[in-house]
Amino acid sequence: MSTAAVPHADAPSSPGRGVVLEARNIVMRFGGLTAVDDVSFQVHEGEIVGLIGPNGAGKTTFFNCLTGMYKPTSGEVTLGGRALPPRPRAVVTAGMARTFQNIRLFGNMTALENVMVGRYCRTSSMALTSILRGPKFRREERESIDRGRELLRFVGLDDKADHLARNLPYGEQRRLEIARALATEPQVVLLDEPTAGMNPRETEEAMRLIFRIRELGMAVVVIEHDMRFIFTLCDRVLCLVRGALLVEGSPAQVQSDPRVIEAYIGGSEDDDISADELTEEDVEVLHAEGVDVEPSRTSARSENGR
Amino acid sequence: MSTITSSSTTTGRERLGLRLALAGGALLLVSGLLSWSFEPIFGDISIRLWPVSLQVFAMLIGLTAVALALSPTVLRRALGWVHAGPGLWALGIGATAYTALSLAAIAVEAGGLINANEGAWIALVGALLLLGGGWMVRDRPRAPEAFSAQGPATVEIVTIVAICALALAAAAYALGRDDAWVFVLFLLTLGVIGTALARAEVFEWLGGAAGRHQHVLTLGAFAAAFLFPFTQDGSEINMSIATLVLIFAATAIGLNIVVGLAGLLDLGYIAFLGAGAYVGAIFSGSVSSSIGWTPPFLVTALMGGLFAALLGLIVGSPTLRVSGDYLAIVTLAFGEIFRLAMFNLDGNNGPDLTNGPNGITAIPNLSILGFDFGESHTIAGVELSRAANYYLFMLFITALIVLIFARLNNSRIGRGWVAIREDERAAEAMGVNVFGLKLLAFAGGAFLAGVAGTVKAHYDTSVTPDQYQFLESAFLLAAVVLGGMGTIAGVILGAVVLKLMPEKLRFFSEYRLLLFGLLLVIMMRFRPEGLVANKRRQLELHDDDQDRAAQTDRSPQTKEALQ
Amino acid sequence: MDQFLQQLVNGLTIGSLYALIAVGYTVVYGIVQLINFAHGEIFMIGAFGALSTYLILFQGQTSLWVLPFLVLGAMAASVGVAVLTERVAYRPLRGAGRLAPLITAIGISVFLQEFVRLFYDKVPGLDFPSAKQKIPFPQIEVVTGPAIELGPVTIQRAAVFTIGCLIMCGAALWWFINRTRTGRGMQAVSQDPDTAKLMGINVDRVIVVAFAVGAALAAIAGVAQGLLNTNINFKMGFIAGLKAFTAAVLGGIGNVWGAILGGLVLGVLETLAVQFLPGGSPWKDVWAFALLILVLVFRPQGLLGAKVVDRA
Repeated sequence: MSTAAVPHADAPSSPGRGVVLEARNIVMRFGGLTAVDDVSFQVHEGEIVGLIGPNGAGKTTFFNCLTGMYKPTSGEVTLGGRALPPRPRAVVTAGMARTFQNIRLFGNMTALENVMVGRYCRTSSMALTSILRGPKFRREERESIDRGRELLRFVGLDDKADHLARNLPYGEQRRLEIARALATEPQVVLLDEPTAGMNPRETEEAMRLIFRIRELGMAVVVIEHDMRFIFTLCDRVLCLVRGALLVEGSPAQVQSDPRVIEAYIGGSEDDDISADELTEEDVEVLHAEGVDVEPSRTSARSENGR
Repeated sequence: MSTITSSSTTTGRERLGLRLALAGGALLLVSGLLSWSFEPIFGDISIRLWPVSLQVFAMLIGLTAVALALSPTVLRRALGWVHAGPGLWALGIGATAYTALSLAAIAVEAGGLINANEGAWIALVGALLLLGGGWMVRDRPRAPEAFSAQGPATVEIVTIVAICALALAAAAYALGRDDAWVFVLFLLTLGVIGTALARAEVFEWLGGAAGRHQHVLTLGAFAAAFLFPFTQDGSEINMSIATLVLIFAATAIGLNIVVGLAGLLDLGYIAFLGAGAYVGAIFSGSVSSSIGWTPPFLVTALMGGLFAALLGLIVGSPTLRVSGDYLAIVTLAFGEIFRLAMFNLDGNNGPDLTNGPNGITAIPNLSILGFDFGESHTIAGVELSRAANYYLFMLFITALIVLIFARLNNSRIGRGWVAIREDERAAEAMGVNVFGLKLLAFAGGAFLAGVAGTVKAHYDTSVTPDQYQFLESAFLLAAVVLGGMGTIAGVILGAVVLKLMPEKLRFFSEYRLLLFGLLLVIMMRFRPEGLVANKRRQLELHDDDQDRAAQTDRSPQTKEALQ
Repeated sequence: MDQFLQQLVNGLTIGSLYALIAVGYTVVYGIVQLINFAHGEIFMIGAFGALSTYLILFQGQTSLWVLPFLVLGAMAASVGVAVLTERVAYRPLRGAGRLAPLITAIGISVFLQEFVRLFYDKVPGLDFPSAKQKIPFPQIEVVTGPAIELGPVTIQRAAVFTIGCLIMCGAALWWFINRTRTGRGMQAVSQDPDTAKLMGINVDRVIVVAFAVGAALAAIAGVAQGLLNTNINFKMGFIAGLKAFTAAVLGGIGNVWGAILGGLVLGVLETLAVQFLPGGSPWKDVWAFALLILVLVFRPQGLLGAKVVDRA
């Protein structure tokens, strides 16, 4: 994967190509609440897959299960045929990177440094080499900087390399987050609402960026609420409702499926606790407080003391 | 947009202000040549045309004022980029405070204001003029040159070297002051000029220049520090203060790795210094040590470092499960356990290892490769005392620690630390080995403190548990916070200020803890990034994850509500 | 067995002290997630407040009726200082991350200690003793004096007072949290400050009340400590505060009843450790801090957990 920078000028994928990412029967329960209910899916090489669903459908939770931020109650994730352990670092090293719904950049680092953090798992200089500035360190550092600048250029931020991430405008922060994810040399990129809060022009740009990522030979999974965006972009679309996979198919199929429309218009979620909100925020808080959260054992509500 | 045309269209009011400030500066300069008091106090400020102490300080302020006031006009080619307005305003306030305090000093020392002579009054008038002029130009916009100010490389290098030399001279001068008033007024002068230059955005330029010639700065600073003992011919007291400052600074830089880079609040850091000190003491051959074996010092230093690093690993291991302020309390508890253990390992309540509360005393001087640190050596006609020997040795260790800090900071490891500090979960999701790096920060920081501790044991000649109590950890933390977390220059500055003040001023040594407690509170309230702000300043002090998410995310709630 | 009973009583006494102080940590933490590191100093200031009241108004008196005034004086001092620190130091930092308030708290703690040490004997117009060494605390009839023999167990009178205080304070606290408007407001804020604010609860006021309640209990503990130990000093707050924090964590920080339980458990464990672990009394603080670390690492939610219902 070290040659990921070289664009693969292959044609857009077809489902006939090899499977990169596969999730089998993922279940995620928080106490009595089932946030992800037996979801399976496959992503093929060079494919763009969309994940839609009303609020609280469990999309982000599903992402968290894929990337090892949560340990699924049951089910298995494989990348390139190998089972992924549910640990974020192992997942990144294996070749799957993500962005976050609410941007999580390293605000007080420059744009270039942010991307270079993404190179962490592809480099190995430890303390002593760093202090002595051995040849290995210099080579790696050089490569990281070059690769970082290359990626910043790729997302159109080459003139912002030395700006602090927190000072970048919103749209650029989103792109920087993507560059950071690409720096880990992934086979699959998971984008959690990459266009949230963007204006139409920015959305258009984001779309082009995702196409270009695909051209680099990576598969992309996108969570989005913007239907036009999803249906233009994706080769295949999955619709989650209440944690379960409702429909899967081509954009056209999903778009015309009456159940999807029902799920969105029916307002079936309005009196439920939103699973996404609950899990994402609260588990974070509890982690931050050092509380040992085993989502499968703990009643998420009972510790929601903030 | 007004900045582009500003310097050519200086308003009448601003012109007047600049002239007033210039006049004020000139008066301050002149006042230095006049008599300030009828009494020959403060090194005799009663003589005309022979400026000393207070008079010289006034002239320094005056010189700064003249340079700033002329920068938009006469000195435009050289100093046009200076942001004169705010600089003069700050200088005006400072100069007024300085002259007022000087008059107070004269009144107290010479017995009433009646003893103040014309020079002091003229200085006050000058300061007031400067204040008025500064007030008029305080909103003067920044010169357009400010954004592209970059002098020729030689000028920048010379400036940096000159600043290092000035710092050396200032340090030597400050240490040589025995009079509390002069000492305080000198510090005030430095503070006033420093603040004015900072407001005039000179430090931005300096920062840029320093960034472009980092090696020059580092070498210059260390050369100045190295030359310091040669300016203190035989003064054992000053050298011993300087050595204490260095030990303190080296330890604070070590702590800065843990707190400033990795963002882990360590409240028990002094225990690592203590661990090194105890190792150094136990293997020193002291009669009160229960172990007779005395390895070469370099071996002892390594053992001290490794023992401290081992403790660091133990202290750090809970970071896998504990974070934030809980972690801070864990480190605090470890620090207390260390102190209590050293207290109790006296043969009565536990194995005899540390001689309990009495500590290990009569530790012999260091001797490395036949060089006895206890004896004076004469180099280049200057006698280097015992303290100077230790000073130079500690300088070497400090240089190593600075090098390690700087190189780690600017590497994969350092970026990993900062990423953890910024957003631990995101760092992990990007493949950063969070736990490993945290342990490395604890162990590495502890190692450096441990090595410093072994030297400290020999220098202090005794090691007792009370030297390593919680307050000392808090004191170290205060140095880091005051100077600026994550910076080297800042922490050295913080360490120097915090250690020098109580040593030089009786007043401060009594109120030392009171004042630094207050200092912590005030710094957190008004300038949490410290005196010297980091490039990535403000760290996580100004926001945490949730806040940042709320700031950067264009209100996810609204977005969701819309669907 | 007699040994054990005696140690149990001693443990409960010292545990009651810890419990009274621990409530202050836990109440504040439950509401603003701040480890109010300076709370130990509030306890110390309570003791000095009581002493000052005695020296000013009742010098030489030993009757029981003096005691309520001493407690009031202690409370006034503690509550005043606690509310002042909240207002001046903590409130401006609200929402400024977690490192800044903690460093501030350390600063306040050091400042208060030093302030008392340096200036207690310099109060103008009053002839207070210097706080640089231990100061004898007034002895009051009934609550001090010859110990009570209860079969094989000896109980100090001050110990009875201390445990009694804890019981009364516990009851008052229960009533306050569950039966008063302010108490229910505190519960609401501890669960969700934003919603509480929307519901018209004055969050600022609730926070001040939390500081005040904690300080009042710490003040009572300060008086009890003075009676138990017969003397007080400016350093007494540091170790006691750390122990009380241990107790709060042990019980589940944020949980009032947890803090009380944690205090009692810690006190008993500590005295038993002195009795039954090697090393004896010099190592008791080591055991306490080791326990703190173990709890933080292995069960940070404490014995009772941070329950929502009582998390005021």
